[in-house]
Amino acid sequence: MNKKEFLTSLDSRLQKLSKEERLDILQDFSEHFEIGKEDGKTEEAIAHSLGSPSQIEKELLASYYVEKVESTSSASNVLKAVWAVIGLSFFNLVIVLGPFIALVSLIAAGWIAGTAFVLSPILFLINVAVFPGTFEFFDMFFSLTLCGLGLLVVIGMLFVTRYSTKGLIKYLNYNVNLVKGGMKS
Amino acid sequence: MNIQFKKGALELCVLALLNKQDHYGYELVKKISDQIAISEGSVYPLLRRLKKEEYFTTYLQESQEGPSRKYYKLTDKGREYLYDLLKEWQQFSEGVNHIIKEGVSNE
Repeated sequence: MNKKEFLTSLDSRLQKLSKEERLDILQDFSEHFEIGKEDGKTEEAIAHSLGSPSQIEKELLASYYVEKVESTSSASNVLKAVWAVIGLSFFNLVIVLGPFIALVSLIAAGWIAGTAFVLSPILFLINVAVFPGTFEFFDMFFSLTLCGLGLLVVIGMLFVTRYSTKGLIKYLNYNVNLVKGGMKS
Repeated sequence: MNIQFKKGALELCVLALLNKQDHYGYELVKKISDQIAISEGSVYPLLRRLKKEEYFTTYLQESQEGPSRKYYKLTDKGREYLYDLLKEWQQFSEGVNHIIKEGVSNE
């Protein structure tokens, strides 16, 4: 493999990375080739000592995935993290699972209540449509009030959910460190 | 274990080399591969990782011979980390040597 083949092969394997980072990596290897040639080596010999692009790709992407998990907090990642922490010890089964279930239930209850409040005017309209004789101003205003309240609850829940997720991730990290007893993996 | 072990040792070598003076990538790779058998390409991912951890900074410098070179410079944070690793390494290698002595020199 010569320089061009090596860099092309590496480039095609790093499409997951940002363009900026990819170019930076290729620049590093390109520089390595150039200095190696001044050193009197052939491109093939340099490529051979560097090893296979697929191995280099694995090592580069490993740290990329770690960062990705740290920066995104999608539900599956959170669940994976919870599961990983539980797996660390039986002690954690009680410590993590209890608060986690409580927190999720609370958040779910908030969302359900908020949504129900928002939808209450629709229930009122259905009521009027089905029983045309029962139009009551009190019911209408009451359901409108509930709708307003529901909107506030939903907006509140958005924040609560966001902060709980962040808090949970911090809490899980704390647990991981606690269980590992400060051991570096 | 084996892979992790090599990675840790490689990290220690890179940090130790940069403790005395700044080096560019090719220089680091050459100094290490003169002593230990490594696949040279794996030094670069390691350099990137340690730079992200803020253990060193980089700067470009022109050279007479060819293209400008990216130099790596150890930070104070990196130096602290190097001393931590050195302590761990010394304890570890002393332990291993001790066990080897007991097990092998029984003649």
